[in-house]
Amino acid sequence: MPARIPAGPIALWRSQAGHAVASADRCPHRGMRLSHGFVRGEALSCIYHGWSYGKTGNCLRIPAHPSLTPPETIRVATHDVEESDGIIWIALGQPAARPPRFEGLVPLRSLTVNANVAAVEAAAGAKADPEGLVSPSQHPQEIRLLLAPQDDQTLIHVLLDDKSSPSRRIAASRTAESLRRMAEDLQAKVQAS
Amino acid sequence: MRDEWYPVGLFSQLDRNGRNTVLMGEPITVALDAEGAATVTSGSGRALPVRVRYGHVWSSLGNPRKELFAIPEADQPGRRFVDVGVVRVRCSPLRAVENFLDIAHFPFVHTDILGAEPHTEVEEYKVEIRKDEDEVWATQVKFYQPQAAKSANGGITTEYMYRVPAPTCSVLYKTCPPRPGEWDVITLFVQPLAEDLCDVWPWMALFDDATPMADLIHFQQTIFLQDRSILENQIPRLLPLDPGMEIPTRADLTSVAYRRWLKRHNYTYGAQLVAQ
Amino acid sequence: MKLYDYVLSPSCYKVRLMAALIGVKLEIRPVDFHPGAEHLGPELMALNPAGSIPILEDGDLILTESTAMLAYLAAKAAPEWLGSGAPEETARIQQWLSFSHRLTASLGGARLHEMLLRPGDIAALQAQGIAALRELEAGLVEQGLRGMRFLASDRPTIADIACFPYVALAPDGGILLDPYPAIRLWSRAIRGLDDFIEMPGIHRLHELNPEPQIEPGAA
Repeated sequence: MPARIPAGPIALWRSQAGHAVASADRCPHRGMRLSHGFVRGEALSCIYHGWSYGKTGNCLRIPAHPSLTPPETIRVATHDVEESDGIIWIALGQPAARPPRFEGLVPLRSLTVNANVAAVEAAAGAKADPEGLVSPSQHPQEIRLLLAPQDDQTLIHVLLDDKSSPSRRIAASRTAESLRRMAEDLQAKVQAS
Repeated sequence: MRDEWYPVGLFSQLDRNGRNTVLMGEPITVALDAEGAATVTSGSGRALPVRVRYGHVWSSLGNPRKELFAIPEADQPGRRFVDVGVVRVRCSPLRAVENFLDIAHFPFVHTDILGAEPHTEVEEYKVEIRKDEDEVWATQVKFYQPQAAKSANGGITTEYMYRVPAPTCSVLYKTCPPRPGEWDVITLFVQPLAEDLCDVWPWMALFDDATPMADLIHFQQTIFLQDRSILENQIPRLLPLDPGMEIPTRADLTSVAYRRWLKRHNYTYGAQLVAQ
Repeated sequence: MKLYDYVLSPSCYKVRLMAALIGVKLEIRPVDFHPGAEHLGPELMALNPAGSIPILEDGDLILTESTAMLAYLAAKAAPEWLGSGAPEETARIQQWLSFSHRLTASLGGARLHEMLLRPGDIAALQAQGIAALRELEAGLVEQGLRGMRFLASDRPTIADIACFPYVALAPDGGILLDPYPAIRLWSRAIRGLDDFIEMPGIHRLHELNPEPQIEPGAA
C-alpha cells in the first residue's frame, strides 16, 4: 500500500513470510509507483514491467530478460520498519531507539485529515503527551490519537482500550469521524480568515 | 516545437459550432466552415494551418517547415479506418508515446490480450534513426500474444514495426491475422494540451471486414485505458531526458532512441532535462 | 440474455462482472458510446428512452438500471448474492444499493470529465466523490469490527458489485484511493473472488498467480 513519510512516498508491503517492508514508491526503470505493484513471496514487483525487488531493495528479476541477473546497481531505497502492538513504524536513517509501546491499547483504524496537527489538536481539545498520544478532552476514556503530519494533511491512528467491546469500537470509529469533521472545519476557518 | 503538426480533433465529429480545445497551453477552436472545410482558430482569432488526414484535423501554432508525415497505407484499398476517439491523460505527451513504443509491459498491463506470463522475454530487435526521413524506427520486434487483435483466434507470435514520424505521434505496423503478408496499422496521435496533460487520439487502418466497428473501437479503447492508469502514475510526469533518471535495458532500445532523437531535435515540450 | 454494453462503462461492467461471478453467459452487443454516441441513436433509444447504457434484454423484459440487472441475474442463477433475508442484512444491501447511485454521479461524473472530456464541475464532483469514499471507508471499518469482510455480510452480495466498479476506477477521475485502507482490503477481496473479471483501469492481481519459473532461452 502507498504511505507517506518525510523522506517521500513509500510503498509499504508485507512479504509472504510476514515481513513488513518500506520501499521508495518509484521503480527506477520507468518511474512507475511501486505501490501499484504486487507481492509474490519475498519480493515486490512493479505493475508496469514486472521488475521485482527484494526486502533490501535490490532488483531480483527483469522479466523482459529472464536469464539476466540484474546488476547490484539497480535498487530502490528502503527504510527500517518496526512493528509493535499492531502499529508499523518507519525510521528515517538509523533509529536511536525502539518505537514507543502503548500498554493496554490496540489500534482501531487510520484516517487522513485535511488539516494540520494544530487543527486536529484543537478539535480534540488536547495536545499530544510526551509519548505522542492525544487524549480528546470530550472522550478521554474512549480513544487515543497518534498523529503523523503529512504535508498539509495529518494521518490519525486511532487507538483504544484493548478490552473494548465491538460496539465500543464502532462507536470509537464514529467519534474519530466527528473529530475529523471538526478539525477540517477549524482548518477551513483558519484559512478563510 | 510550435512548428510541428498536432492532432486537434476527429474530422467526423466536427460541426459548425466547433470544438474548443487547447494546444500547448493556447486555447484554439476547431470547426467546419460554410463549405464543410475544417478551420482552426487561435484564441486571438488568428487562422492556423490546417490539414485533414487519417481521420483527424491537424494544426500548428507556428509555421510547419515539413509537410505532415505520410502513412502510405492510409491510401491502400480494402482497409477499414477506425476513429477510436479521444482519451485525456494526465501525463506528458512524450510519456504517452514512449509507452506506445514499449512491448515489455504487455504481460503485466494487457494481461491475456497482448501478453501473458511466462512469455515475458523481449527478443533482440533492430532500432535506427533513419537519416532520410528523420524518423525513429524499430523493426523485427516479436512478441507472443494471447489475443493480438480482435480478428485473432488464440495465441500467436506477433511481429511489430514501430515508427516515430513526429515527436508526439507513433505508427505501429503489426502482423495482420486475416491477411498474412500485410500489416495492420495502429497509430497514436497525441495532442499536447500542456507539458503534463494530453489528449490522445488512437486511430487504426486495418484489414478486417468481419468485426463490427464498435468491437474494433472497444478493443483499442480497452488497450489504451489499461495504459492510462500506468501513465498517470509515473514519477515524474515529464519524460526525463537525463540518462541518469531512469534505467533502460536492451528491451528499451526504442525508448532510448526516441529520447535521444527528441534531445537531438531539442524537442523538450513535456520533457525534463535535469534530474530534480 | 443480451447486454448492450460499453467496455469502458463501470455500470456495464457491474453486469458483466456479476454474470461472470455466477457463471451466467451474456450475449454482448457492443455499443459505440464514445466517440459514436450510438446510445442516443434510434435503435437504442427505442429500447431505453433515457438514452443510457447498459440495457439488459431477456425476452420481453428490458432493464435499464444496472442495480435491477444485478438483482435479476442473482435471482435467476445465484440467490445467495441477494443476502440471507435477515432484516439487518436486507437493509444494508438496500442502503448500499441506493448509495451506489451517488458513486455513479460523483466518481463517475469526475471520471467522464477527466477522461472523456464530458462537461461537469470537476471540483464539486471530486469533493462529492471523496465524501462518498469516506462514508464507504467508515462503513467497511465497521463491518470489519463486526467480523464481516463485505458491505452487508461476510460474503459478497449484489451491494458489493454495485459499489465496486466506480470506487476502483476513482483514480480515473483524479481521485486517489491512497487514504482508504479498508476500501483497499475490500477491493482486494472482490478482485480475489473466483471467476472475477477485470475491466480497463482495474489490473489483474498478479500475486494470485505463481512466479513463472523460466528456463533461460526457453521463452
